[in-house]
Amino acid sequence: MEEFKVLEIKQSVFADNDRQADEMRRELKKKKVFLLNLMSSPGSGKTTTLSRTIEALRDEMKIGVMEADIDSDVDAREIEKFGAKVIQLHTGGMCHLDAEMTRQGLEGLDTQDVDLAILENVGNLVCPAEFDTGAVKNAMILSVPEGDDKPLKYPLIFQVCDVVLINKIDVLPYFDFDMEECRKNILIRNPKAKIIPICAKTGEGIEEWADWLRGQVKEWKS
Amino acid sequence: MHELGILNSMIHTIQNVVNEQGITEVDKLVIEIGELSGIVPHYIEECWPAARYKTFMENTELELIVIPGMVKCRDCGEVFNAVSADLSCPKCGSRNMEILEGNDMIIKEIICK
Repeated sequence: MEEFKVLEIKQSVFADNDRQADEMRRELKKKKVFLLNLMSSPGSGKTTTLSRTIEALRDEMKIGVMEADIDSDVDAREIEKFGAKVIQLHTGGMCHLDAEMTRQGLEGLDTQDVDLAILENVGNLVCPAEFDTGAVKNAMILSVPEGDDKPLKYPLIFQVCDVVLINKIDVLPYFDFDMEECRKNILIRNPKAKIIPICAKTGEGIEEWADWLRGQVKEWKS
Repeated sequence: MHELGILNSMIHTIQNVVNEQGITEVDKLVIEIGELSGIVPHYIEECWPAARYKTFMENTELELIVIPGMVKCRDCGEVFNAVSADLSCPKCGSRNMEILEGNDMIIKEIICK
């Protein structure tokens, strides 16, 4: 009779990815590059928000953007117009980016002279939240038309985000979106989350967001 | 449907373990999936044949154990299963709760020759 050996592993299925992500954060710290992972649903205004963010910060720091999509380069071409260094990452059907894909993206971007690297993750509220990309901070955009109950329906993404931007506040009068209810729902999931209502189209709230990001980059580089 | 990506990540994690231990073949893999992990056990089973295809675990059997999603109400302290209570406290109705168990997917053990 053959003998079987049982090995107790007790590791998360994401252990390997988490290890790579931690290693990358250590390297980014040495290189003084701040990596922001930006997540959201499709159509929440990631690219417009990013354009506004670049406008607000481009005179004080060098910004690099990685646009992750399943296909196409429409977002990358749009972002390039705002004066940031951009590369397009195609995930080839995958619904998220992991630490290894992010590393390849950073290599492709060449971060030598970059202060702030922004990863525009695939538009999805589920999978990107599960995979640590190695980013220093996670941000997400929730737009008003999506509804104030999203933190209850997609708890994980709200748990892993340091900052939540509530976008498209200009259309608040046309939707049954309760801002206070939304704040409450986010804070249930993540009491430490910073919440900033914005309108990327008009620029409202962008200053507060840019201030937060500027502070984070400064702290990381010190 | 994120289960395939999760399984790919898991295979990399196990690859590291077997490399360290000098194991070449895994007979069986025991995984714990929490009810609050957002990962669907049925889809993990469905995706497994595709995920293991042409890897060192091509012949590995998968056993799943579902871990109940237990939470504690932050308002009244009641401990309950969040899934059967439909995410609100059966005692006071609050939705403000702390997860005690069932939030992860863990590789429990691997069985090999």
